[in-house]
Amino acid sequence: MSTVAYITARGLFGRRRVLLLLPLPLLLVGLALICRAYDVDPTQWGQAVVQGLGLAVVLPVISLIVGTGVLGSEVDDGTIVHILTKPLPRRDIILAKLLVAGGVSAVAAAVPLFIAGVLADGVKFGVALAVAAVAGAVAYSALFLLLSLVTRRPVLLGLVYILVWEGLLGRWVSGTRVLSIEQYVITIADRMAPTGMLDGKVSLPVALVMAAIFAIGGTLFAINRLGSFSVAGETS
Amino acid sequence: MSDAGVIHDIGYQRYEGPRLGRAAVLGALYQHGLRATFGLGRSAKSKIFPWGVAGIVLLVAVINAAVRSQTGTWLFDYYAFDDSMSWLVIFFVAIVAPELVSRDLRSGVLPLYFSRPLRAADYVIAKVAALVTAVWLLLGVPQLIMFLGGAFTSKTGMRGVWHEVGLLLPGWAYSVLWAFVFASISLLIASLTGKRAFAAGGIVAVFLMTAPVVGVLSVLPSRTANDLAGLASPMSLISGVEAWLRGRNDLGIDVGDFGVIYGIEAFCLITAGLLLLLARYRKVASL
Repeated sequence: MSTVAYITARGLFGRRRVLLLLPLPLLLVGLALICRAYDVDPTQWGQAVVQGLGLAVVLPVISLIVGTGVLGSEVDDGTIVHILTKPLPRRDIILAKLLVAGGVSAVAAAVPLFIAGVLADGVKFGVALAVAAVAGAVAYSALFLLLSLVTRRPVLLGLVYILVWEGLLGRWVSGTRVLSIEQYVITIADRMAPTGMLDGKVSLPVALVMAAIFAIGGTLFAINRLGSFSVAGETS
Repeated sequence: MSDAGVIHDIGYQRYEGPRLGRAAVLGALYQHGLRATFGLGRSAKSKIFPWGVAGIVLLVAVINAAVRSQTGTWLFDYYAFDDSMSWLVIFFVAIVAPELVSRDLRSGVLPLYFSRPLRAADYVIAKVAALVTAVWLLLGVPQLIMFLGGAFTSKTGMRGVWHEVGLLLPGWAYSVLWAFVFASISLLIASLTGKRAFAAGGIVAVFLMTAPVVGVLSVLPSRTANDLAGLASPMSLISGVEAWLRGRNDLGIDVGDFGVIYGIEAFCLITAGLLLLLARYRKVASL
């Protein structure tokens, strides 16, 4: 299991592709620094930077790239066969991949969010954002890992979820918020450190329970799918 | 059967007819690209995403036309329609641009293409033209539906229809601007990687991460920074060009006296995107 995790991490970091993960967090920190340097009131920029960029773009997009990359690229390249034919329980493969995906996205999203939170309000807000981002990263990673097993176009489906479900519908149709990880993250951060900047729209128990359901349910279903995985050719 | 000295002539017929040149290759590549954007000639699976987006956009246009014919007021006019569809346009180019260029990189057909009488510039022109046409169709056809809705319910006869044409044509021109900006940026990003998944993620990330920059710049305590804020994001850049050309500052973006800079940046952005694409295809890797 540790070997699978090691190979996955090397696959993620070993190539130039990892540089894709840098610009988004840097932009987040940079914007927060600019606002701080010009002494703009945090109530004016906090929402745009922390929620609009941090929680709506950085966290889901990084989780999407990493979460679909750990397994999806192996499915694409066909190298998944080498792992599947080893005498390893499928559960261990999924857990190792999920550990790497969740860990990398959590670090890549939580660190810049923590810095932005500290600049916006204080250490308490920063910690709240970081904790919420870690919870969100785990839930997103489980979801996107599952997507890379149930469909051959995981990134596009993931983008539908981020752009259409959370982005477009989440704004106007209140019912979709119950199934939106972004809203859980906002609620968790808002309840831990109440500021005027975030506006949690679901209740805290709903957020915690649903985030856990996404994380655990996604993992279990992914293990189930990998148990009867069929290797097919390139999509048309 | 065969004379001594002849190795083997197994009777294949030589082609001696006319050979089509660059223009035909370009045309074929354009047509193939345009069909590929909407998944025509491919399996049903590759039609789901482009037609899903097109369906939503069409639905919005139909609702808009219906509301207007019933109540007489727009939900969106022709310009605001493009602006409000921006997320779907982002999603559309994220689906289609990797389909156009990343696939060729991954399957390694570029050396084959360029061993024909086809130049790198032709390849880029064909792909950009295909994507521009596709995005323009995505926005222009719904605008046409809105026009038809308006024209058939016109109360003032031909004059009303003519007035409506005068609204539609600038709306179409605005869609062309959208198409060029989005096509040049997204094709450039997609041409950097052979993996469609990464290309799609990259395109969405680039477009989405620019929007909050505008939000931040527009609250900075400087009037100039506020007026120039829209330059930071392609979506607000296009709105800024609209505000400049129509001389209006009530369209959700205030360009102040800097309207002309928006025009210049839009032009430079498109040109730079195309030139960088050309530079990208100076050299292609063979497998």
